[in-house]
Amino acid sequence: MEFRIWPRRCSTDRKDMKKFNLQIGKLGEEIAKDYLKKRGYEILAQNFKTKYAEIDLVARQKNELVFVEVRTKRGLDFGSPEDSLNKKKLRKLWFNARGYINWAKWRGPYRIDAVCIVLKPNNTLDRFNHYKNI
Amino acid sequence: MLIKVASAASRGLETIGVDVEVNVAGRGLPGFNIVGLADKAVDESRERVKTAILSSKIEFPQKKITVNLAPADVPKEGSVYDLPIAVGILSTLTNCKAPEKSLFFGELSLDGSLRHTKGALLMALFAKEAGFESIFLPKDSANEAAVIKGIKVYPVENLSQLLNHFAEKECISPAVYKKAKEEAFDNLIEFDMKDVLGQEQAKRTMEIAAAGGHNILMVGSPGTGKTMLARALPGILPPLNEKESLEVTKIHSSAGTIPPGGSLITIRQFRSPHHTTSPVGLIGGGTKPHPGEISLAHRGVLFLDEFNEFPRSVLEALRQPLEDGYVTISRSKERTMYPARFMLVASANPCPCGYLNHPKKVCVCSPRQIKKYQKRISGPLLDRIDLHVDVPSVDVAELSNNQKASEFLEPSSTIRKRVVLARKKQAERFKTEAIHVNAEMKNNHIKKYCKLSKKVEQILQQAGVKFQLSARSYLKMIKVARTIADLDNSPEIGISHMAEALQYRPKRYEEV
Repeated sequence: MEFRIWPRRCSTDRKDMKKFNLQIGKLGEEIAKDYLKKRGYEILAQNFKTKYAEIDLVARQKNELVFVEVRTKRGLDFGSPEDSLNKKKLRKLWFNARGYINWAKWRGPYRIDAVCIVLKPNNTLDRFNHYKNI
Repeated sequence: MLIKVASAASRGLETIGVDVEVNVAGRGLPGFNIVGLADKAVDESRERVKTAILSSKIEFPQKKITVNLAPADVPKEGSVYDLPIAVGILSTLTNCKAPEKSLFFGELSLDGSLRHTKGALLMALFAKEAGFESIFLPKDSANEAAVIKGIKVYPVENLSQLLNHFAEKECISPAVYKKAKEEAFDNLIEFDMKDVLGQEQAKRTMEIAAAGGHNILMVGSPGTGKTMLARALPGILPPLNEKESLEVTKIHSSAGTIPPGGSLITIRQFRSPHHTTSPVGLIGGGTKPHPGEISLAHRGVLFLDEFNEFPRSVLEALRQPLEDGYVTISRSKERTMYPARFMLVASANPCPCGYLNHPKKVCVCSPRQIKKYQKRISGPLLDRIDLHVDVPSVDVAELSNNQKASEFLEPSSTIRKRVVLARKKQAERFKTEAIHVNAEMKNNHIKKYCKLSKKVEQILQQAGVKFQLSARSYLKMIKVARTIADLDNSPEIGISHMAEALQYRPKRYEEV
């Protein structure tokens, strides 16, 4: 898989940094979306805003609703993406999922998945993990 | 993949076996969780284990690791589970398996080495009772555990060494208990009895106290040498015998007061808590009951300097342990019994200014002040102290004379020889009993071992009437007389022994 290489950051300005991280995140979400589509998931929403926060991806596999949290890191210098999924974050994900279910009036099984992506410095894929029902 | 590693948890002086179950799952979000009523220190061991494994140049698995400490309803505390958890994880990574029937315990350092952990002796004792063959623990704590015979104690320096041992590349040789040298004993004593000038009476009382394990109260003006006498006391006490040593070391092991590399405690402990100590500090306690000063002074000396300055609540708490020789600490979560058979040595001033009954200086306290000061120690407590002695002030002119004569004074080692002899006689006498010294005698023991001749009994009865002795002090007089007779190498209590014992009767200072 080849992806577009984003310009390397040239300034340590906070604003630029934030923008850069958003771009990395966006890139990760696109990778995850492609992967899920290939696996036969139907993507219902991307970056769905609930009253708490955003859900990265909402998909459907057969008759199960899947909420996907995508974590992307470039290199492992600042911890692995799995490390950043702690109990607190998990609780937030559950809240968000409930928000979507209420909004969509969904009556059926649902689960939360995590997709952890590690990129190489040149923004090509290094590692891709899909954890089901975390 | 599930691995079970054996370890143990301490609750007071008891030890309960704990199975450390480590599961490294192939599926699921990577993480590291510990369950089984773990406290903060156990929970934090995750970070220690993870970093220690990484520091040993082994890659930490990116898998879902669950650790269960069974039985799940016993609270686990402390850092002892670092090693068993690390061993569990390592044995799933590498093919070398931990040997069966072995117990693991110890705290890990971030660099993969093992740190001194408290409770080594208790763990080794448990391991032996529960039928384990070997025990792996930090190198610094190995000396302590090696005391227990019949079980292999492996001192582990770091994780990589342990892995090499498992793989049989480089074996660790079991630790062997080395007895401390005898000559070290005299070096540990702060003061010698010959350094204390004058005070022959007080020294004699100290000797009796040491021989029979009696409690003692010294009353005297400031600067007369009360504290010095007390500090010289450990020097005339006999060393602990094997059984006593083990009892004392058990308490200190659970309290964590044994230094790294330390082993069996062979000299009697001398504890001198400050008078601002709380009741819990002295007796022991806390939500998870810890031993207090009285238990740390087990089979040794508890020295309470400035006896009157201790809060009343603290002193009254001493009453029961003084009588029973143990203390039961009950809290909502736990109940523990700690032995506390100690010699109480107390020193006090006779009045707030300190110069009551001083031959030269004038006491400036009002009678009311003196009464109030002396009332701070209750009658029942004084009644429990066998030997009451006055430490009079020393004349300065006499002091300079004595300075020259100090070479002729008895050194502690000579006194100790007499004390040891007297204790030997007592050990012989109480061979079939559960007690060690005269002070521990109960009424039935007194009846059995302290037969008084008619004349001696007469003296005692007269004294009892005249000094209004309580039933308890009446019996205490007999015990003290027994010790004096033992020091005198006499099988029977003579008139002179009883007469001397009566000098040390409980008295309030006004009588003096």
